[in-house]
Amino acid sequence: MFDKILVANRGEIAVRIIRACREMGIKTVAVYSEADRDALHTMLADEAICIGPAASSQSYLNMERILSACVVTQADAIHPGFGFLSENARFAELCEKCSIAFIGPSAEIINRMGNKSEARKTMMEAGIPVVPGTKEPVFTAERGLELAESIGFPVMIKASSGGGGKGMRVSRSREDFTENFQNAQLESVKGFSDDTMYIEKYIEQPRHIEFQIMADKYGNVVHLGERDCSIQRRHQKVLEESPCQVISDELRKKMGQTAVMAAKAVNYENAGTIEFLLDKDKNFYFMEMNTRIQVEHPVTEMVTGLDLIKEQIRVAAGEPLSVKQEDITISGHALECRINAENPSRNFMPCPGKITNIHLPGGNGVRLDTHIYSDYIVPPNYDSMLLKLIVHGKDRQEAIAKMRSALGELIIEGIETNVDFQYEIINHPAFQSGETDTGFIPQYFSQYCK
Amino acid sequence: MIRDMFKKTYTRIDTRYRAQKGEPSIPEGLWRKCNKCGQPIYVEDVKSNYYVCPKCGGYFRMHAYRRIEMLVDEGTFEEWNQHMEFSNPLDFPGYEKKVQAAREKTNLDEAIVTGKGNIGGYPAVIGVCDARFMMSSMGHNVGEKITQAVERATREKLPVIIFAASGGARMQEGLVSLMQMAKTSAALKKHHEAGQLFISVLTDPTTGGVTASFAMLGDIIIAEPKALIGFAGPRVIEQTIGQKLPEGFQRAEFLQDHGFVDMIVERKDQKQVISQILALHQQDLSFFQDGVKIMRERIVSEAGVSAEDTAGNVKKNEEKRSLTERSAWDTVLLSRKSDRPTALDYIDALFDGFMEFHGDRYFKDDGAVVGGIAYFHGMPVTVIGQQKGKNTKDNIRRNFGMPSPDGYRKALRLMKQAETFGRPVICFVDTPGAFCGLEAEERGQGEAIARNLFEMSDLKVPILSIVIGEGGSGGALAMAVADQVWMMENAIYSILSPEGFASILWKDSKKAPEAAKYMKITASDLYERGLIERIIPEGENFSLDELPSAAACMDEAMAEFFENLEGEDGQVLAENRYQRFRRI
Repeated sequence: MFDKILVANRGEIAVRIIRACREMGIKTVAVYSEADRDALHTMLADEAICIGPAASSQSYLNMERILSACVVTQADAIHPGFGFLSENARFAELCEKCSIAFIGPSAEIINRMGNKSEARKTMMEAGIPVVPGTKEPVFTAERGLELAESIGFPVMIKASSGGGGKGMRVSRSREDFTENFQNAQLESVKGFSDDTMYIEKYIEQPRHIEFQIMADKYGNVVHLGERDCSIQRRHQKVLEESPCQVISDELRKKMGQTAVMAAKAVNYENAGTIEFLLDKDKNFYFMEMNTRIQVEHPVTEMVTGLDLIKEQIRVAAGEPLSVKQEDITISGHALECRINAENPSRNFMPCPGKITNIHLPGGNGVRLDTHIYSDYIVPPNYDSMLLKLIVHGKDRQEAIAKMRSALGELIIEGIETNVDFQYEIINHPAFQSGETDTGFIPQYFSQYCK
Repeated sequence: MIRDMFKKTYTRIDTRYRAQKGEPSIPEGLWRKCNKCGQPIYVEDVKSNYYVCPKCGGYFRMHAYRRIEMLVDEGTFEEWNQHMEFSNPLDFPGYEKKVQAAREKTNLDEAIVTGKGNIGGYPAVIGVCDARFMMSSMGHNVGEKITQAVERATREKLPVIIFAASGGARMQEGLVSLMQMAKTSAALKKHHEAGQLFISVLTDPTTGGVTASFAMLGDIIIAEPKALIGFAGPRVIEQTIGQKLPEGFQRAEFLQDHGFVDMIVERKDQKQVISQILALHQQDLSFFQDGVKIMRERIVSEAGVSAEDTAGNVKKNEEKRSLTERSAWDTVLLSRKSDRPTALDYIDALFDGFMEFHGDRYFKDDGAVVGGIAYFHGMPVTVIGQQKGKNTKDNIRRNFGMPSPDGYRKALRLMKQAETFGRPVICFVDTPGAFCGLEAEERGQGEAIARNLFEMSDLKVPILSIVIGEGGSGGALAMAVADQVWMMENAIYSILSPEGFASILWKDSKKAPEAAKYMKITASDLYERGLIERIIPEGENFSLDELPSAAACMDEAMAEFFENLEGEDGQVLAENRYQRFRRI
């Protein structure tokens, strides 16, 4: 087992990792930027070392400085957390060269999964379903129709340079294809002076479902159930839950097996996530693989009772997985709300500043992962996430009730936050009924989506 | 406060601690420090980035063999004189030991590697200095290797490319070292007289005796960005004059501004640029060999017409674009219009692969004159133009198209270069007049113009000059002592501006429109008087948008011009040119 771990991150995840290490009797080294002198992770770690100015490129993204900090403190492993260098293959490679254990998969796997088309190819070869579509640019409606028919309707017609819905059309049948194609192309030519189009399968009312994977050095791979992350704003997850309302035990088993198969196809090691799109007819398609621990990992921890960070550390130290697939049961329901320093009524503009007063909720089944405290100054240099509020109830209804109560108690003064926005989501009838897909926020909270 | 809430132990870092095997440590050579920005950089990144710092873009000095790998087509390099007997002409104590140490440190026999290899498929003789070897100072063996390589290149009719880097002469060899400057320069003179190309590439640092010999003798001189290039080292200069030197002094960019460097080329582009230059200097493309034939074949294949038709086409095209009647003054105004196409626009429209060269090799690179080499239908030609600006900022750089003596000297240098390699010269004339200013007089404006008239009259390659806008007096003539002089329909060519003429003769510059009429300065006036050979029609409202059709007409006429000169001996060309002016 490792004697000392350097945490190459900041914020709540750094705190989360330091706590796990402490529980395991492992010494910790925090690295911090000049803006984070008074950050909680800097205070909590056994040792702390300043690695540069506030700008991430000069500190948390600066590989040389982090590796040097690791060498001078003689930490034998680095936990990269999420973001920053966590999916940087070069960093993983350098760690290996410096005889430092990187808590995560190898550089080769990060590279392979980081390249979207390469990952898609690998998965197709392993027999994992991917969103049907073409990498072939299309310029005429005739060729487009041929492709659409081979993919199967409905299809999405997408402009290569399109964005914000421009140059995009859904075609449901042969009859409306040509008109839609021409309109989308015209829009693209007018808007972006580009007539290159792509055709892919249109996934109707998709849910963003991801499976948590854990794998050791010995080829053992388990999945820890799914997380439903469909509540998103501009592809940023806002609220996550586990299990997903609409996934039956049978489907869970099937998707889980697919996820395990996908991980095995690349000889995956450590924690990872396989993201799927699930359409309204319960067909699922591989989207991408995240080769790191994720922000929303606590919901999985709550329903499985497993500590994922500790498991990551154990696996990286060469121990076999502590659980087998048959030991894993999903019990109850967990929700996570991401609380950010941002102003929802001003287009979610980040709101850094001093927290003048704070009250944190608690109680049975309420978990808070955070790095903030009273008088803490939220620096403007980094991600605006302040805390993750996680609740665990015996079922979804209880979990929602707990979350509502906890959000009501959560008070952060001095800066703007999205607490009220989260409260509105929790109380929305569509959310409560579980009828949510990735279109939830644009559909019901259009007043926030300018 | 939070700081007092949690107890923290601070560990002292033991800098003497050496990690045991398997313990976290940074392996030797994983990083190096950039000596420009001071940042640590990953060595792999440096290697894959042409030994340029990925963080600040600073250039590292390169090992000779790495440079050869970077430049020469794989597997084609053949090294010459790899080993030469050590010589110690002064019996200088400790010299042999020092050389021995350098040999061990660098795995090189001497401070330069010479040999032959292909660059983009074109064979060339190559020499590369390595600054790690006693600062690549030039002793007998370095001089000898260069001289032998150049001599062999002359014999085998191959171009020479030398990547210079040096601290200067090798002190331990005394006057013998100094003599290497003369020896290498003399060998290059013979190479030049044989009509062979020498490309000198200046890398950081090129100083002392090397700068004062082979490095500065290139037909084309390329420099790496920010390379230190100078005769006396900056430290010596500072101590001598007792002043701090300005930022950028003696750097490649400074040298280019002062006319000593043709182009600054980044490492990643060097192979491509050098192979392009080699392609433009392939012997069988020169005018007197197969140039015109190649040109004609290209025209036929591009246009699908037989070359015999070109002459007819020109006539037809010119008739189609009939000349417009205008008053002389209107023509003057048109010739000065700010949206008229400039020399670079014509170059762009008529030629392929224009490669611009800079500097007069004396004092400055004049922005009012642009020049370089390009292809005209596959035939290499030298193109020179007087360049006006498109806007105020551009005009300041171009000095409103008024060349300084440096501009005329640059033009002449490029014409002489064209003569060496048998390339025709095409000049675009567009100037209100030669620059009238203090500095211009100091550096000999009159002499520079006179020298051009003198040298151009006898140049042994075809010269075609086209007045595209204003042909202002001597400033225009200095680029128009040609076999033929053509004019754009609304160009003017005059002894003086109509304003100047009116104020001298009638003491009233407002009478310029009247003066323009009497001066006979329009294309049709001059054509009638036999002072020019051809008028290129412009059509109505001539501007950049209209250029392609005028250029097509010019293109055909030029093809016809070169074709008619086919087989003409250089001597005959010069004599005909003499007679052209003699008649007047």
